[in-house]
Amino acid sequence: MGTFGRLYVLFLRLQATRGRMIGMLALGAVAVLVGLAMALSDARDLDPTVGRDLVDGFGLGIVAPVISLIVASSALGDLVDDNTLVYVWLRPVARWQLAVAAAASTLTLTLPLVLIPVIGQAALVDKGYGLVGAAAAAAAIATVAYGCVFVGLGFKVRRSLVWGLAYVLIWENAVARVASGAARISIQSYATSLLHRMSEGAPPLFAPPRTSSVVVPLVVSAVALALTARWLRRTEVA
Amino acid sequence: MNAPTVGPTVAAEHVSKWFGDVVALSDVSFEIRPGVTALLGPNGAGKSTLLRILCGLATPSRGSLRVLGSSPRDPKLYRRIGLVPQQEGLLEHLTGLAFVELAAALHGVPSPREAATRAVTKVDLDPADGRGLKAYSKGMRQRIKVAQAIVHEPEMVVLDEPLEGLDPRQRLRMIELFRELGDEGRTVLVSSHVLDEVEKFGSRVMVLAQGRMAAEGDFHSIRELMDDRPHKIRVRSDNPRAVAAALVSDGSVLGVQLGGDDSVIVDTEDAPAFRTAVARVARDEGARLLEVAPLDDDLESVFRYLVGRR
Repeated sequence: MGTFGRLYVLFLRLQATRGRMIGMLALGAVAVLVGLAMALSDARDLDPTVGRDLVDGFGLGIVAPVISLIVASSALGDLVDDNTLVYVWLRPVARWQLAVAAAASTLTLTLPLVLIPVIGQAALVDKGYGLVGAAAAAAAIATVAYGCVFVGLGFKVRRSLVWGLAYVLIWENAVARVASGAARISIQSYATSLLHRMSEGAPPLFAPPRTSSVVVPLVVSAVALALTARWLRRTEVA
Repeated sequence: MNAPTVGPTVAAEHVSKWFGDVVALSDVSFEIRPGVTALLGPNGAGKSTLLRILCGLATPSRGSLRVLGSSPRDPKLYRRIGLVPQQEGLLEHLTGLAFVELAAALHGVPSPREAATRAVTKVDLDPADGRGLKAYSKGMRQRIKVAQAIVHEPEMVVLDEPLEGLDPRQRLRMIELFRELGDEGRTVLVSSHVLDEVEKFGSRVMVLAQGRMAAEGDFHSIRELMDDRPHKIRVRSDNPRAVAAALVSDGSVLGVQLGGDDSVIVDTEDAPAFRTAVARVARDEGARLLEVAPLDDDLESVFRYLVGRR
């Protein structure tokens, strides 16, 4: 196994603790249960947008960012907190490899943990608007972008879980949903826009073209990884 | 090991490091060559900061430092150095062998498993031990840290307080290992705050105190320097005034001060001669000696003195 593979496996083992896995599986299960509850109720018969709004609000608004935050912030963040970063930093390894390996292990865990419940939820509430495909694409884009951003956050910021949650709840789920200017710098807005465009929904507050909804989060991901690599190069290690 | 470096392994010029208002290192210059060098100093002297700068983990606020001809921040250098950090944290979910194997693999060692097995055996641990590092005792953790630092056979090994937590037998074994590494032509830099420990390295000593290089030399010259300094000694007696008056005229005494109800504080540069003199003075004056005790024989005082004389 090469250097990248070793780092990837190391990060994967650091991130996939039993406690975290149980918490994230529980969150995913709640998403599916809420979808099931709605599927069994009459509400979506009254308003066909309710199912889409559920995926938007719960799947993209909670499941994707929270699971990404929990996993991603622990990749490099746990090493910093435990003062063990030195055991991967003081090696002849390119700093971008550390950042990319951390992101790769993050996405290995978060993509299935996010996509399975979000797609399950969408399947339960879909009424023939192509919601399943739209939810899968939107959740995947959001998960990739959140994962890369939160890897950097975990490395750079102490108590990143708290700050990350504040960001998700205040910025992504409150400010960016009511202010179109703020929505331009919100990952969730691009994912939401993609969801609505792919499932024939009414355009949300901020509705960039479909291509932008895919490209911008990917660019954000690349920039976040480049910044993390730069921080790793310039950091002082305990 | 790569071809030996021409010139010193480490060359530091006027290195300073501060954290906000706190000065951790102040204008430190030195050279280190192959063999064992001990970095001696009390806790908080700046040893760990210096070692971190030396390994590129921190950057100096001022001054310059070259290690094996390179900047310490160049990741290519890390193939040639190994560090035993002071902190206890390890990658707890790994076994000892897996931890060392990871280090070998990240260093690009061709057969990481074999190299790790050799290194783990060298520090008297069992490569077949399947327990996670979280189950390791303090001594075992120290030794596995040494194993990960030497697994890629670096030209320079930096060890921050590596003997802490080891029992006497393990200490001897580790000291022997450091000497072996030095004899192989590697540069071994070991930090310690214990003078007697440093003596056993049989090495060159750099004394760091209050962030400054207080002294450099072989162990014996440092030891002499420490013994030759002025000493402060408290003499308690049932007749302190008479003892003080008589001591003033003794050649071994630099100064005398009455220090309380029954004590006299004496400054001397020749402690053994003073001890002879004080017994004679007490007998001549008919005074009973209750106590003769050094007030500044702890290592901290010695370091303070060494810093002050520079």
